[in-house]
Amino acid sequence: MQEMSLFWLRVAAVFYSVGMLHALVLALRRASRLFPVALTAFGVGAILHAVSIIEQTRLTGHFPANNFFESASLCALLSALLYLFVWWRYRVRNLCLFIFPLVFVLTLISALASPLARWGDERVRDAWLVVHVVLVLAGYAALAVTAVASIAYLIRERQIKRKLALPKSAEAPALLTLDELIGRGMTAGFVLITLAVVAGSTWASIESGARWIRDPRILISLATWGLYLVMVFLRASAGWRGRKAAVMVIALVGCSALTWAAHTSLRTLFAP
Amino acid sequence: MKLCITGLNHRTAPVEVREQLAFDEHSLGAALADLVGRPGISEGLILSTCNRVEVSVASGDSVDPGAVIERFLAERRGVDPAALAPFLYRYEDAEAIRHLFRVASSLDSMVVGEPQILGQLKAAYAAAKAHGAVGGWLEAILTRAFSVAKRVRTETGIGENPVSVSSTAVDLARQIFGSLAERRVMVIGAGKMAELAVKHLRSAGVQRIYVTNRTLERARAMAEAFQGIIVEYDRFLEALPEMDIVLTSSGAPFYLLRKDQMRRVIEARRHRPMFLIDIAVPRNVDPAVNELDNVFLYDIDDLARVADANLGERRKRAELAERIIEEEVQRMVARLKAREVVPTIVSLQERLEQIRQAELARYRSRLGPLTAEQEEALEALTRGILNKFAHGPMTELRRQASQPEGVQTIELIRRMFRLDD
Repeated sequence: MQEMSLFWLRVAAVFYSVGMLHALVLALRRASRLFPVALTAFGVGAILHAVSIIEQTRLTGHFPANNFFESASLCALLSALLYLFVWWRYRVRNLCLFIFPLVFVLTLISALASPLARWGDERVRDAWLVVHVVLVLAGYAALAVTAVASIAYLIRERQIKRKLALPKSAEAPALLTLDELIGRGMTAGFVLITLAVVAGSTWASIESGARWIRDPRILISLATWGLYLVMVFLRASAGWRGRKAAVMVIALVGCSALTWAAHTSLRTLFAP
Repeated sequence: MKLCITGLNHRTAPVEVREQLAFDEHSLGAALADLVGRPGISEGLILSTCNRVEVSVASGDSVDPGAVIERFLAERRGVDPAALAPFLYRYEDAEAIRHLFRVASSLDSMVVGEPQILGQLKAAYAAAKAHGAVGGWLEAILTRAFSVAKRVRTETGIGENPVSVSSTAVDLARQIFGSLAERRVMVIGAGKMAELAVKHLRSAGVQRIYVTNRTLERARAMAEAFQGIIVEYDRFLEALPEMDIVLTSSGAPFYLLRKDQMRRVIEARRHRPMFLIDIAVPRNVDPAVNELDNVFLYDIDDLARVADANLGERRKRAELAERIIEEEVQRMVARLKAREVVPTIVSLQERLEQIRQAELARYRSRLGPLTAEQEEALEALTRGILNKFAHGPMTELRRQASQPEGVQTIELIRRMFRLDD
């Protein structure tokens, strides 16, 4: 990517990050007053994003979908424009919970096609990595709690639904309590994993330039995050709760386990 | 000292007889005074509930406490003693203790494990205490009965599972929603069964009740009774997405709620769980509704099945409770018998002390004046001899108190030491 194009793309990512922040607050608190600001920032981000892509096309002379970074950037812009159209036409607000983080993460990845900077200090490099790892582990912990609640939910739901022998009320939490625990655990985990993705992508870009994104293990991580995003969105917008949410969480735990396993051998990628 | 319980309950007497003998709160004081005022009766307790009327007394050995209670009941309630006799049961001593423990632990109740009886027994005890009718043996047994009931409840969990259709519905609602305070309940059809279920839900903390019925007058009556809100019958479907619990008991000969309707309802409430209690016969809710996610449907048979399962579970736990009670009865009997020998032990100690004092007085003149240290040594010496001597008989007295043939041994010891002189 050319310098100016990349510059506009990075500025667009900064604007998109406001939308992302709104989405995270919305997921955590189920309400956010940031939406007007986030929407404006998102709009500005989309314009700058378009400028970046036009600039890129003008300079390279070909359609900007030549590699993963360009394709991700284009996909992010199209998603942003589509959302802005849907908002203008139908005023569907909830979709932002899905689109804002997706567009931000795709744009961020595109903007990391070349390293932001070089490590000035080894301690900063290590601390950054520690932050990423801690966020991932905290996210997994939240997911683990959510998974336990999901299994408990499925067992209880089956007992009540099939009218099997019921446990004493005092012995097990109510279905609604378990469902709320699933919802809260899910959103807390999503916020932590999203922040971990942002921290990890930035770190990897500085560490190894553009080659990090080609590793299938990284792609598995991003796919897991995408699944997480879909799950949080479906719960918030389509009201997916109870059994569906519990099954989704268990599926996500499977993906996360795969990601975990993949990451245990990541060191080879970054080895000198 | 004798302990006797005479009375009748739901198993021995029909309600017409039980209501004849029942004591109301206001007449209880006078009745207790009358009871303990009768010759030979030292303590008394009257337990009067809708399922039982029982009189417990502690009396001296010279009276027939059962006959006293029968006369008391007949006279106080103006009933012919001969007509009453076939319905009465009588328990004495260890049997009476066992019965009291079983009553307190709700093993003798119509619904085994129901918690009300313990409260009623405690109230009867409080009334007897307030009127000075208890304060010895009977009181000791009653306070022990409360501890036994607590032990039975804790160790067996006998009262934990609901056994009536209405309380089962409430328990299920709690298993789905947890606290019911914030839940909205809609009642479709305002029959007697619905009224009972709503009463249970209300006492479980439900605040917001909506009533709909084809006949507006009946809906209004129920809404007034439970501070509910009337919903027009033609529009109840529109209000359903706001409801967490729906209770149907309408006489409609067709399904009021079908699967497609409920699918729209659950989507409108964004899949928040919903509990449908269909106690109508024929059923008001299509059973296929239970296939929808987050909708939980129980009809009258489902509820009865759960209640039956709980009842079976209670019966199993009752067997364990009976074993606990047997153990407690043995312990209580032993304690009471130990209390019985206390006067003998005290008499023995007094008798030996008399002998010691007499002997000391007799020999004091021969010994001449003694210093304080010598007096102290003499006192310690004689007391020590007596204590060592008395230790054997007193231990035997306590041991024999709990033995079947103990009375004879106690009598022998009394004679040996001339304690009755």
